[in-house]
Amino acid sequence: MRRKRLEDAKSAVSEMLDLPREIMLNLPRITMIGNNQMIVENHKGVIEYTPERIRVNSSIGVIRIQGKDMKLKNIAADDIMITGGMKGIEFI
Amino acid sequence: MIFYILWNYLVGYVKIRVDGLSLEKFINLTVGKGIRLWGINRESYTSLTANMGMRDFHQLHSISHKIRCRIRIEEKRGLPFVMHRYRHRKMLVVGMIAFLVILYGFSCFIWSVDVQGVKKMDPQKIWTELDSLGVRPGVYKKNIDTMSVENSLIVTIPELSWASLEIKGSRAILRVREATQPPDFVDKETPSDIIASRDGIIQSMIVLDGQAVVEDGQTVRKGQLLVTGIIDHPDSTGIRYVHSMGQIKARTWYEDTAELSLKQPYRQRTGRSAQMKYIGWNRLKVPYHKEEIPFGDYDVEVREDGILITETYYEVKKIHWEQDRELAKEKLKEQLEEKIREKIPQGAKVIDKKFKYDMIEGEKLTALVYIEALEDIGQQRIIETQ
Repeated sequence: MRRKRLEDAKSAVSEMLDLPREIMLNLPRITMIGNNQMIVENHKGVIEYTPERIRVNSSIGVIRIQGKDMKLKNIAADDIMITGGMKGIEFI
Repeated sequence: MIFYILWNYLVGYVKIRVDGLSLEKFINLTVGKGIRLWGINRESYTSLTANMGMRDFHQLHSISHKIRCRIRIEEKRGLPFVMHRYRHRKMLVVGMIAFLVILYGFSCFIWSVDVQGVKKMDPQKIWTELDSLGVRPGVYKKNIDTMSVENSLIVTIPELSWASLEIKGSRAILRVREATQPPDFVDKETPSDIIASRDGIIQSMIVLDGQAVVEDGQTVRKGQLLVTGIIDHPDSTGIRYVHSMGQIKARTWYEDTAELSLKQPYRQRTGRSAQMKYIGWNRLKVPYHKEEIPFGDYDVEVREDGILITETYYEVKKIHWEQDRELAKEKLKEQLEEKIREKIPQGAKVIDKKFKYDMIEGEKLTALVYIEALEDIGQQRIIETQ
């Protein structure tokens, strides 16, 4: 209950001060260009990587990307760039 | 993105192949150490390839130990590896440095001087003036003060109204604009006659001032008095001196001869040519542009432009005039017309042109041209009065 209240306060402050929410609330920021490029910032590691399925861990849970011929174009400590034909994204 | 590619190339990177079971773990651990991976491609369940910075490779040792995978370098790419390959070839480096030094050194000098915009005046005058001001091929570029050269050019050459010296690389380009000269002052006070500048038959006379002493249709010789400025009219008292003015149109004749040897074959260019280009001085020549010379018979024209030498090979066809007299005549006519064009003054109008050919069998062909022209033959002559 207390934690929930803190989160709400953070959210309200970041909205008031126009601060980026993903930093304040420690959320992943997902950017997609069409269906063939995806950048996940603020991730917490790769759980699974095959050309057909990629699972990325994050603070809100696992992000599962289904697709075809996917590659990890670039991966660094806080961002991942995935390229290839993507078909679906799920948050589980 | 291009910046990344370039940077990776400069620092050097390796393409690694990882064989093992938990490859996602490998990725996470590597990334956790702050190592960037790119171009990851999972080739099968147990193997993937990825690129990583050259310097980070040794850190993978502990990871491969921990998760029991095999890491191999597939390819080494980038500048450090290239340099490593050539590390023993010292002369290569010396050559590269020498090249840069020479390139820089040569670009510090003026190699050619170009003058643009000269219309009427003698360009030689500008050239000598530029030379004395220190603008000539071979001088150090920094020693040229363009402003002062421009100024002194305008001051020393009165024909120029504007000059701009621009140094473009190793070329000095001078752009000038000639001043419009004031027209010659006609001094109407000085009494003068008009005399004939050449032989001819008077066609028409318009006398504005002075008194004509010849008539239309009269033949005059060079130097003959045409209009006099001394007027001694019976109605007026005493002699009056005037400045004669007028236009005296006369028919004049010009003639010239030319000959063509029939013994020697004429070498006519067919229009096809090939060029060879060299860099160097008279003996030391390094070709940099070569073309095939597929001609059996050719003329060579050599043009030297500083250290750039261009040889142009023109294909020629030998023409024996003996076999083609008509062509010989035509050729001779062409030559003659060009020759006589220089003789006829600019204002003259050609009325009639006649050619006469004479053949000395087996020896040569001669031609004679007569030109009848209409021109102003009036010339001022000042009368000396005491």
